[in-house]
Amino acid sequence: MFCSADRASTNSSRRHFLTQCGGGFGALACAGLLAAEGQSSGSLPRSHVAPRAKQVIYLFMHGGPSHVDLFDPKPTLEQYAGKPLPESFGPVMTRRKVATNPLLGPIKPFRKHGESGIEVSDFLPHIASQVDDLCILRSCHGDSVNHPQSVYQMNTGSILTGRPSLGSWVAYGLGSENRNLPAFVVMLDQGAGIKGGPPAWGSGYLPATYQGTTVRSGATPILHLDRPADVTEHRQRELLDFINQRNREHLALRGGDDSHLAARIEAYELAFRMQTEAPAVMDITQETAATRALYGLDEKETSEFGTRCVLARRMVERGVRFVQLYSGDTVGWDAHENVLTNHTRLCKATDKPVAGLLADLKQRGLLDDTLVIWGGEFGRMPMSEQGKGRDHNPWGYTVWMAGGGVKPGMVYGATDEVGLRAVEKPVHIHDLHATILHLLGFDHTQLTFFHNGREQRLTEVDGHVVTEILA
Amino acid sequence: MKTFRIGVGFLLCGCVIALANLAFATEPANDPALTEPPLSDLDRNYWAYQPVVRPAVPEIAGDTWSRTPIDRFLLAKLHEQKLQPVEPAARLTLLRRVTFGLTGLPPTPAEQRAAEEASDFDAAYTEIVDRLLTSPAHGEHWAQSWLDLARFAETDGFEHDLVRPEAWRYRDWVINAFNSNLPFDQFVKLQLAADEQMEASDPHRIATGYLLAGPDMPDLNSQEERRHIFWNGMASNVGSVFLGLHFECAECHHHKVDPISHHDFYRLRAFFETIDLFPGKPKSEANDPDDKSSDAPKRKLPVERVVWNKTDDTPTSHLWLRGDFRRPGPEVTAQFPRALVHQESLPSFPAAHGRRTALAEWLTHRNHPLTARVMVNRVWQQHFGVGLKSTSSDFGWQGADVSHPELLDWLAAEFMESGWNLRELHRLIVASAVYRLASYPVPAEDGSISAEQQQRWHTLTTSDRTNQWLGRFSRQRLSGEAIRDAILAVSGELNRKSGGPGVLPPLPPDVASTLLKGQWPVTKEAGEHTRRSIYLFARRNLRLPLLEAYDKPDTNLSCSRRNQSTIAPQALHLLNSEFVRTTARNFAQRVTEAELSTDARVQEAYRLALGRPPSPPESAAAESLLMSQDDAPSGWHNLCHALLNLNEFLYVD
Repeated sequence: MFCSADRASTNSSRRHFLTQCGGGFGALACAGLLAAEGQSSGSLPRSHVAPRAKQVIYLFMHGGPSHVDLFDPKPTLEQYAGKPLPESFGPVMTRRKVATNPLLGPIKPFRKHGESGIEVSDFLPHIASQVDDLCILRSCHGDSVNHPQSVYQMNTGSILTGRPSLGSWVAYGLGSENRNLPAFVVMLDQGAGIKGGPPAWGSGYLPATYQGTTVRSGATPILHLDRPADVTEHRQRELLDFINQRNREHLALRGGDDSHLAARIEAYELAFRMQTEAPAVMDITQETAATRALYGLDEKETSEFGTRCVLARRMVERGVRFVQLYSGDTVGWDAHENVLTNHTRLCKATDKPVAGLLADLKQRGLLDDTLVIWGGEFGRMPMSEQGKGRDHNPWGYTVWMAGGGVKPGMVYGATDEVGLRAVEKPVHIHDLHATILHLLGFDHTQLTFFHNGREQRLTEVDGHVVTEILA
Repeated sequence: MKTFRIGVGFLLCGCVIALANLAFATEPANDPALTEPPLSDLDRNYWAYQPVVRPAVPEIAGDTWSRTPIDRFLLAKLHEQKLQPVEPAARLTLLRRVTFGLTGLPPTPAEQRAAEEASDFDAAYTEIVDRLLTSPAHGEHWAQSWLDLARFAETDGFEHDLVRPEAWRYRDWVINAFNSNLPFDQFVKLQLAADEQMEASDPHRIATGYLLAGPDMPDLNSQEERRHIFWNGMASNVGSVFLGLHFECAECHHHKVDPISHHDFYRLRAFFETIDLFPGKPKSEANDPDDKSSDAPKRKLPVERVVWNKTDDTPTSHLWLRGDFRRPGPEVTAQFPRALVHQESLPSFPAAHGRRTALAEWLTHRNHPLTARVMVNRVWQQHFGVGLKSTSSDFGWQGADVSHPELLDWLAAEFMESGWNLRELHRLIVASAVYRLASYPVPAEDGSISAEQQQRWHTLTTSDRTNQWLGRFSRQRLSGEAIRDAILAVSGELNRKSGGPGVLPPLPPDVASTLLKGQWPVTKEAGEHTRRSIYLFARRNLRLPLLEAYDKPDTNLSCSRRNQSTIAPQALHLLNSEFVRTTARNFAQRVTEAELSTDARVQEAYRLALGRPPSPPESAAAESLLMSQDDAPSGWHNLCHALLNLNEFLYVD
C-alpha cells in the first residue's frame, strides 16, 4: 500500500459517498439503484482472494512482437535456418500461407543476464538489465491468426468484438481510487489507431462508465476537458452555479428523492474538478533530470513512449487502476517484411522507457502493488516471410509480467524447438486473464455480470490461474 | 470443459471458437451435447410457450379513473397492493412526454401554447397524438430501438471496418415501415424472407438487410468460419429479437435453464442456411455455372444488402459441437424450437426456397405464443422505461417476472387482432390514464400540495420504490440521440431532411485519431451535419462521442434496453464541446432575434429548452445571470448554454 497526497486529501464524507456508489470514471449513480433499474446490471463485486496488486500498467506491443527474436531463444531455429519446417510439426494454420517457407533464424544473438541468467536478445539491452524482475511466460497462446480478433481476444477474452475489456473488468471490480480521474486509461501511439479500434478498450455489456478513456499526453488529455475558448474559469463557475441552483430546485420540486438527478448534480462538480486535476497529472515538468534520463525523455527515439511511461507511473500514483499503453501505430510490430528493421525501430523506442519504468516503480516502492504486463496480440512464426519477415503466430509466444505479486526472475513454460507452438505448461489467454484477475484479488469465475440470460465473465467458460508464478 | 488434444495442450473452447491448428482427438460418442434432453411437463407448460388467450378486462366497481382497458388492469393490481394512482400530469408535462415519446423531439412553443389554451384538452390531446403518430419524426425516432436490436451499423467491424455502401437503405426501410404503419406481421415476414415473397425489383426486399445487419469478418482466413459465425449471429438474433429467448447460449451447449437444446439452435439456424451468404458477385452474375469464386473475400462493387437463396441443391445443416466450425456433429434439419411446438407430428419445410417464409408465417401466426407478447412489451418499455417484463429480450425462466401478466396478454391479443397495428398500439397506450399520470406531486394553482396528495405520494414511493405497479409515471432520461436532436431543434438548426446515405459530422481530432486513416471522411455540406441522429453514419467501431457518453450501445451486440449511466464526461460534453457551445450561440441568436422584452425572451428560451414557461423566480434568476455577464450577447449565450445543461432538459417527467 502506498499513499499519495491525492488520496490522503480525500475527505471522509466524500469517501463515504463514493463507497456507496458503483463504478469507475465519474460514475455516480448508486449501485443499488443500478441493480434495481438496470436490466443487465449486478451488484458490485468484492475481492475474493487477497489482492497482490492494486493497479496494472499494460504495455501492449501492437502488431505482434517476435518472441523468437526477443525473449524465447531457439538455438534449433538457428541451426535449421533456411530449411523448411520438418514435417513432424504437421500442418500449420497461418495468416499468409507461410507454412512451407524456410525457417528464419533469430535475428540477433541472445545473452544471459542478471543473477537469474535468463536469456534476452540483444534487441533489448535495457529490459535485459531488469530481467531479474521479470516473470517470463514463454508458452502463451491464443485462437486466431488475425490481428483484430487477436487484439480483441487479448483484451476481452473473445475473438469476437463487443465484449468488455480486461481494463473494464478491473474498473468494474475495483472501482477507482480517484474519482477525478478515469479508472481505466488507454494511451495510444500518436501515429494512428490500432487494428480493431475502440472496441479493444470498450466496456461491452458493462455500463459505459467502465470503458477505457483515451488519454493523450499534452494539455488536453481528456476529450472536452478544456473550457470553450470564450469562457473564463470565473464565468464557467458562474454558469455552473446557475446550473446547480436550477438543478437543486428541480430536484426539490420532485421530492428530493431521485438519485439519478442527484448524481447528475454531483457529476458537474466532478467535471469541474477534473479540469484542474487531469492536466496536473499530465504536467511532467516537475520530473527530475534523473527521471527524465531514466525514461529517455531527452532522446529523440525514446521521448514519445518514454513520456507515456512517465504518465503511466503518475497515473497509478494517483489511483488510476488500469493504464494501457499501446506501442506501435496501425502497423506497429507487424514485421511481415523485415523483422530487423521493424524491431530495431520499435525496440529502440520502447526498450529504455520500459526499463526506466520498471526501475522507477521499484525505487518508489510502487512495483510491489503494480502489475506490469508486456506483450502483443500474438508472436511471430519461425518460418520466414518475404525472406526476412515473419507472419503472425498465435500458437505460442511470450508475455512477461513484473511486480504485483508475480515471481521475479522466472521463466515459465516453453514453446517447441523452433518456437512454433506452446508445448510445455501452455498458458491460454483465458489462463493469463484468470491469473491477472487473481493477482488483483478476484476469482475469475466470480467476477461476473448478468447479461443476455447468463452470468458473463472475462474468461468465458475456461481459464486457470497459473499458480506457479505467484510470488 | 477441456478436452485433451494431440500434441498441444488444451482445447480452449466454450463459447469461444477455438482456432488452433492441429487435428482434434476423436469426439467421445457420449458427449452430453449430443444427447438432446427431453422436454419436461414443466417446460411444456411454461406460460410464455402457451398461445395468447385474451383475458377478460377486470370490472372495478365505481371506477371513474380508467380511460382505457389498460387502466383497469393496472388499477386492479394497484388495488391488490392497496395503492391508489396519483394525479394526472400537467398539460405541458404531458405534451413534452408524449412528443419526445412518439417522435424523439421537443414540443415547440406554439404547440405548448395551443395545449395550454385548448378548451377541451382531452380532444386536443387526441389530435396531438394523431399529429405525432403521423409525423415523419415518429418513424425516425422508433427506428433506432429496432436498429439497436438488429445490431445495425453501416460497416463490418473488426480490423478494416469496411463500409457497407448500401446498408443505409435498410435503416430507411425501417423508418418508412414505422411511418407507413406497416403491419408488424408484415414487418417480420419481410425482414426474414422478403426475397422469397417479392419480385426481385420490389423495394421491400431491402428489409432482408436485417439478416445482414450484424458484424462480419470478411478477411478471415477461413470463409467457412466466417459464414459459421455470421449464421450463428443471425440465428441468435432472430431468437432474441422475435422470440425473446436467449438462443445464443445454445450455440455451444444446451441452454442451462431454458428448454433450448444445442440441437434447437442449429435447427433454427438451418432455416437460414439456404441463404447464399457472402457470394462473390451480385445475383445477376451468380448463376454462372463456371463461377467458383464464391469465396472471394470482398465484393468489388457496391451491391444491395439483401439476401437470396442458393440455387444449388438442398444445403445440409449440422449441429456444430461446442460451436466449433471444424467439428460437425449430427445432421439437423430446419425445425421450430421444440418447446414452442405443440403438435405431435412436426412440420417439414421446403428444400430451400420458402423455408424462411415458413418460419415467418409461424412467427406471425395468431397462435404463436411469443412474437406479439415480445413486441408489445418492447413498445411498453419504450413508453414507460421498463417493460411489463423488464427483461424484454428474455422471456425465459431467467427473465424477470411479468408485473402484469393479464395486461401483457390482453395487449398481445389486441395487437394481433388489430392486424398487428403498431400505430393503434401506441395510440392505445398513450391514451391510457396510466400514461398520463404525474411523475411528481403537481402543486395546485397557489403552489400548495394537499395533505391527501402528499400522503398518496408518500405511500406510493415508499411501498413501491421501483414503481412496478405504475401508480405514477417514472421519469426517464432522454437517449443520446434525442439529446443531440433536441439541442439542434432548440437552436433552430435541426435539418429535417429524411433518408439517404449516412452523414459524417466533424469529429474531435482526438477521437478521429483513434480510427484508421480515411475512416471518417466528413460530409462536405455543413448543412447535413445537423440532421437527426438516426441519419448519422453508423460506424461499428466508433460511436459519436456524445452519443456514446449517453449510452448508445455497441452495435456488435443486440441491445434490448439501454443503460442509463451518469458519468462526468457527459457533463464535459455539454459544458465544453464545440458542438454544444456553438449550438448554444445559435439558440441565443434565435431567442434574441425578435424585438421582445428580456422577460419575453427568457420565456421563449425556457419554452424552447424545457417545454414550459419559467416561474417568476426562475425568470428573475435568469435575468440576474444576464446582467452579470460582460455584454448582452455573451449573457444570452451563457444562459442558453446553461439551459441545455439542466437536468430538466435531459429528463422527461
